Amino acid sequence: MAITFQPSAYSGLVDQDNGMVSREIFVNADIYAEEQERIFTRAWLFVGHESQVAKPGDFFVSSMGEESVILCRDRQGEIHVFLNSCMHRGMKVCRYDEGNTPIFTCPYHGWSFATDGALVGVPFYKDAYHEELDKSQWSLIRVPKMVNYKGGIWATWDPNAPDFLDYIGGFKTYLDILFDGWDGSEGGTEIIGGIEKWMVPSNWKFPAENFIGDRYHNISHRSVDLVGIGPSGQGRRDNSEREGAKSLDVSFPERGHGTVMFLRPEHAQPVPSYQNDPIVADYFYQCEIARKERQGQLWRILAGPGTIFPNMSFLPRQPRSIAVWHPRGPDQTEVWRWFLVDRSAPPEVKEFLRQYYIRYSGPAGLTEQDDMENWNYAHSASRGAMARRHHYNYQMGMGYAVTDFEDGGLKLDGTVLDTTKARAGEQNQRGFYSRWREFMAARDWDELATWRNGNGSAC
Amino acid sequence: MADIVNLFEVEPGQTVRLHGNATAEVVSNPRDGVWLFVRYLTSPDDPDQVGAEDMVFAQDVLELVTD
Repeated sequence: MAITFQPSAYSGLVDQDNGMVSREIFVNADIYAEEQERIFTRAWLFVGHESQVAKPGDFFVSSMGEESVILCRDRQGEIHVFLNSCMHRGMKVCRYDEGNTPIFTCPYHGWSFATDGALVGVPFYKDAYHEELDKSQWSLIRVPKMVNYKGGIWATWDPNAPDFLDYIGGFKTYLDILFDGWDGSEGGTEIIGGIEKWMVPSNWKFPAENFIGDRYHNISHRSVDLVGIGPSGQGRRDNSEREGAKSLDVSFPERGHGTVMFLRPEHAQPVPSYQNDPIVADYFYQCEIARKERQGQLWRILAGPGTIFPNMSFLPRQPRSIAVWHPRGPDQTEVWRWFLVDRSAPPEVKEFLRQYYIRYSGPAGLTEQDDMENWNYAHSASRGAMARRHHYNYQMGMGYAVTDFEDGGLKLDGTVLDTTKARAGEQNQRGFYSRWREFMAARDWDELATWRNGNGSAC
Repeated sequence: MADIVNLFEVEPGQTVRLHGNATAEVVSNPRDGVWLFVRYLTSPDDPDQVGAEDMVFAQDVLELVTD
């Protein structure tokens, strides 16, 4: 029997006070359907990168929630995001992953649209429509809000959503680390290679919460650490730069974003990394020196995995990449992973990173294989009638976070849990599900923009 | 009756005969198999179209006049 959830029911499913979350929100088809309406039509979503549509006519077919969208650059050089659905009968007007085209033609009846979305071709326009069809009213559906932030293309279907930087808030610090050049130069990144795409039999929130700050699952990757796939021949990453660093979990619960990071000591200096190749090692060492000079205290931040609510996750350092967890039903997630490099990096560096990314991430990457196994079986083992009666536990570190973190003169926005001694915490996950509950219950952005009432940090 | 024109094989510069007995030079081909961008050379039903550029639908392309 289908269960209809009233907005008030979500507070029972996400029990913030007791650190518990119902399994229903992961496996229930009705809740999943509500998510499409309440979350994916209202939140800002990552669509792609400007380097994927570098030339006029370039397009990349992406996804916003379940819905196919076209990211493209028109003949005048403007970037657009359109719903990939013909205005006549709804057929996809583009069924390629990417390419270059002067027009998008629907194969069903032949309506065609220019790269700025305008309806330009209507078969039998003169004889059948008697030239009375107002083409200007039948352009492709355009997202009402889109932004190009340092090369990352984001969009939302909600015209009343706050501006992107207001949506991001204090999390901008960590997003900048992802999209800026390694030397700290503004927006100096590009996508390398293709986009890895694969299906995981799990709800989309499993990977989203994993990336927002699950240090606890480190044990899952022990075999990878033993193999030593890292860029200096040990572990899976370079950890020497974390020497003496504090381990911090940073959450912005009023927005749903979060990340884990390491904070280097106040007087730390760059240390060698990427030791498997002298050219690459020198490149990153010089970049670290330049970034320290450029950023001062912020250079101390060694950003780790993070999630921007709802479904964009990233690794800003090693291996530098973006993942989007596209919902494909309560029990399926289509994962897309982009890989980033410095645009100005030498070819040797880009190729070294490409190889490292392949062996770390994606369906064939050693680390991501571990994660997929966890999400797969955690999900399937939570679907049964008995399993659904029991909540997940998110109580780790409750009551130990601060909102006024400061270290050596560096103040951090957000709610910060020092996990240096504890080694793990779950405040970021609690923040994520707290925000999820707000999205599911709120009527509109007047209610969702809680920070405007003094709750949380504004940008 | 002329064979159906395979629009994927039509090249810019070729001339096509269109519905209404008009002729047009192919300006570009988006290679979607559905549309051609053309410039009208003749248009008995609408002489004002001559010289104008337009998109023509596959079913309106009757035959290739030149190879």
